[in-house]
Amino acid sequence: MDFVGFLVTQCLNALSQAALLFFLGVGLTLIFGIMRIVNFAHGTFYMLGGFLGFTAARLTGSFWAGLLVGPVVAGAIGMAFETGLLRRLYRRDDSAFLMVTFGLTLVLGEIIRLLWGVDALQVPTPDALNGIVFLFDEPFPTYRIFLIVAGIVMAVVIWQFLERTRLGLLIRATSQNAEMVHALGVDVNRVRSAIFGIGCGLAALGGVMAAPLVTASLAMAPNAIIDAFVIVIIGGMGSFLGSLIAAVLVAFVEVFGDYYFPDFALASMYLLMLLVLVVRPGGLLGKEA
Amino acid sequence: MSAEHSLAAGVVDVEARPPSTDRRVVVAYVLAAALLALAPLALPVFAMTLLTEALILGLLAMSLDLMVGYTRLISFGHAAAYGIGAYTAGDILLHTSLPVPFAVLAAAVVAGVIAIGVAWVCTLARGVSFSMLTLAFAQLLYAIAFKWTAVTGASDGLAGIPRTGGPFGLTLFETKDGFYYLVLACLVGAFAFCWSLVRSPFGAVLRGIRENEAKTLSLGYNTRRYKIAVVAISYALGGLAGALYAPFAGFANTDLLFWLFSGQVLIMVIVGGQGTLIGPILGAAFFLLVQHMLSQYTDSWALFFGAIFIAFVMFAPQGIWGLLTGLRRRG
Amino acid sequence: MALLELDGLTKRYGGITAVNGVTMRVEAGEVRAVIGPNGAGKTSLFHLITGVVRPTAGSIRFDGREVAGETSYRICKLGLSRTFQLTALFPEMSARENARLSAQSHLPRSWQPWGGRSVFAEASRRGDEALERLGLTHVAGRPAGLLSHGDQRLLEVAMALAQRPRALLLDEPTQGLSVEETLSAVETLAGLLTDGSLTVLLVEHDMEVVFRLAKKITVLHRGTVIADGDPESVKANEEVQAAYLGGYA
Repeated sequence: MDFVGFLVTQCLNALSQAALLFFLGVGLTLIFGIMRIVNFAHGTFYMLGGFLGFTAARLTGSFWAGLLVGPVVAGAIGMAFETGLLRRLYRRDDSAFLMVTFGLTLVLGEIIRLLWGVDALQVPTPDALNGIVFLFDEPFPTYRIFLIVAGIVMAVVIWQFLERTRLGLLIRATSQNAEMVHALGVDVNRVRSAIFGIGCGLAALGGVMAAPLVTASLAMAPNAIIDAFVIVIIGGMGSFLGSLIAAVLVAFVEVFGDYYFPDFALASMYLLMLLVLVVRPGGLLGKEA
Repeated sequence: MSAEHSLAAGVVDVEARPPSTDRRVVVAYVLAAALLALAPLALPVFAMTLLTEALILGLLAMSLDLMVGYTRLISFGHAAAYGIGAYTAGDILLHTSLPVPFAVLAAAVVAGVIAIGVAWVCTLARGVSFSMLTLAFAQLLYAIAFKWTAVTGASDGLAGIPRTGGPFGLTLFETKDGFYYLVLACLVGAFAFCWSLVRSPFGAVLRGIRENEAKTLSLGYNTRRYKIAVVAISYALGGLAGALYAPFAGFANTDLLFWLFSGQVLIMVIVGGQGTLIGPILGAAFFLLVQHMLSQYTDSWALFFGAIFIAFVMFAPQGIWGLLTGLRRRG
Repeated sequence: MALLELDGLTKRYGGITAVNGVTMRVEAGEVRAVIGPNGAGKTSLFHLITGVVRPTAGSIRFDGREVAGETSYRICKLGLSRTFQLTALFPEMSARENARLSAQSHLPRSWQPWGGRSVFAEASRRGDEALERLGLTHVAGRPAGLLSHGDQRLLEVAMALAQRPRALLLDEPTQGLSVEETLSAVETLAGLLTDGSLTVLLVEHDMEVVFRLAKKITVLHRGTVIADGDPESVKANEEVQAAYLGGYA
């Protein structure tokens, strides 16, 4: 086998994996960075995205519908949850959020099980992306190329959103000093609801995109929540750039670790996290040491 | 006089409780233990099975309370302690002729020793990151349990775990009621141990860490060492619970390490009343009872538990025990 | 020999130098204030001395022993107790329990995981004594979080005193107090600090407080010592006036 071809396809594999991890981690890090709260239900929204993608594809016959339906529905649920419950907890300590969102994980997970059943559901890859391209004579799935492109686009969009738009500015301001923003006549509660909704929507978007590769199943949530937290912990809580770097790092360690040390495939991600935590307890770009 | 002053003046001194309270409480606990000891005389077999399991889960929840309620170390991975205990005791009972009491004690020690390593890693982080690390560690164990067939029996688990009698030819623990007494003894012993622990100088430092870790550190306490110690103790007692579960159920499988189970234990602690030791035991019994009743009507009991849990966290963070004692004080 | 000696103490964060080559001696029994405009590096200096952050360069000798780079809990155990600029207490514990927990760390078997009646008795004795010295006995049973702000500031000092420290570091003890509260707190502190039994390093914004309490003053400006001496000479120092006092004297 051609070594260059092998290297290129493995790297692309890792990058597509990184895109999925980035989708997963960025919503969590956005919510944490701005609201200082941790959404345990993040993995469940990711899973919800997978199932919504399945249903949207079945009803409309198009995978692309899921990319709209998933984030919108999940975002709406997230906003409703924030408005109805989380808002009452802002005076309590962090663990209250963690526990309430864990409760949401149970409730939402059970509702998903009741609606879609316990079987893993195969989500078809859209026809346009169902092929294989050859890179250096190595076959490579088109869908993974799409994921890489989508990941890059999403990173740029979020970055530009935070830097350039009014809401992005408010978001960054709220994370710096909520009271000041409030004093300026901005409804901080609405900013927070919006952020929580966007974070949940991003998780669901990731779920829709991942579903053709991993199938929509009840196992998505626990795996996703741990992956998401590993990304956020490695990158540094609340750092957008950190979660991007961490996603790429974890994906490369996973893909190459899996190839060279298959017996330790499971542990590679945890070992990476351990290494980062020992060297930089606050994460790569985290503020807290 | 400022508003703050008048507020303070209206506050009853928190130390104004009569000194006899502790003694009265101890008497109440001894009575409760005596009642539990008499239970096999009065209750039918299925109720005894439920009660035995409730005490085992109570021990597990109480062990988690040391971390959650007394030190504010929120662990989402306490199933790890339970699973380690269950597999260790299961293997000892399956492959040796050691009697049950030794097997469970050995398993508790194993869980405690492993916990030192776990805690060393997890305490590199604080707060939420700590919680997620405990979860990650439990998930790692869960994955290992599927691969390490020789020790865990992979997805089949360990089956036919015996309640080996002894020591000295005693066959007491082989019967269901006899085993119940072993469970009760372990719970009472562990409770007395924790009761004394949280009232000791060590416990005072844990409380300091709970309320303000940075300050505790600046007062000259090596807080990380205290946290590692409390995690080790908590895991050892959780391991003890798991070790009792294996010969109680006769099997050990990967369900015991599942992340949802970790969450359920946390629910027992919060719903029962964190930082009270007795609350989580009640929480475990409540959990088991409601699960038992709900599962006759629906298999979606997790839905109800999620809702109950959210309601408690939001509106009654003091838990069942807090509600009960609060009512008693007022009435 | 000075009890606390800093020599060329420096802390850099990336390109920013928070503390720049600070050399200072605090004799036993001395009350010394560290003053300087905002961002002069006063609190950074405290964090360095108490081991919260590691120095980039320089040495810190406490009673002849090098402590630069030591962890904060070890430094505290050596007899260097501090208070924080932002009140740091155990809000749900009573004032008495706060002081007791503070004293406990300096007793043998402070970690004992059972019983502990004798540990608690001795810690309570030291804690109560410290509360009394700061006039807090009447609120000793109340949760610290419900004390008035002034009492909370004094409770922090009491907690430090309960450790019977060899040197006391006070980070703006009157921070955030009203005028009346400041006056009464200063009187309490003055009674405590002026008999020469304590070695104190004091960071303070309020010049009235500084001149009332301190016999020696070190002036920091942008991380560097620009003046060092008794209050009169510091007041008269032109560089200090330019940098900080702004015609105060």
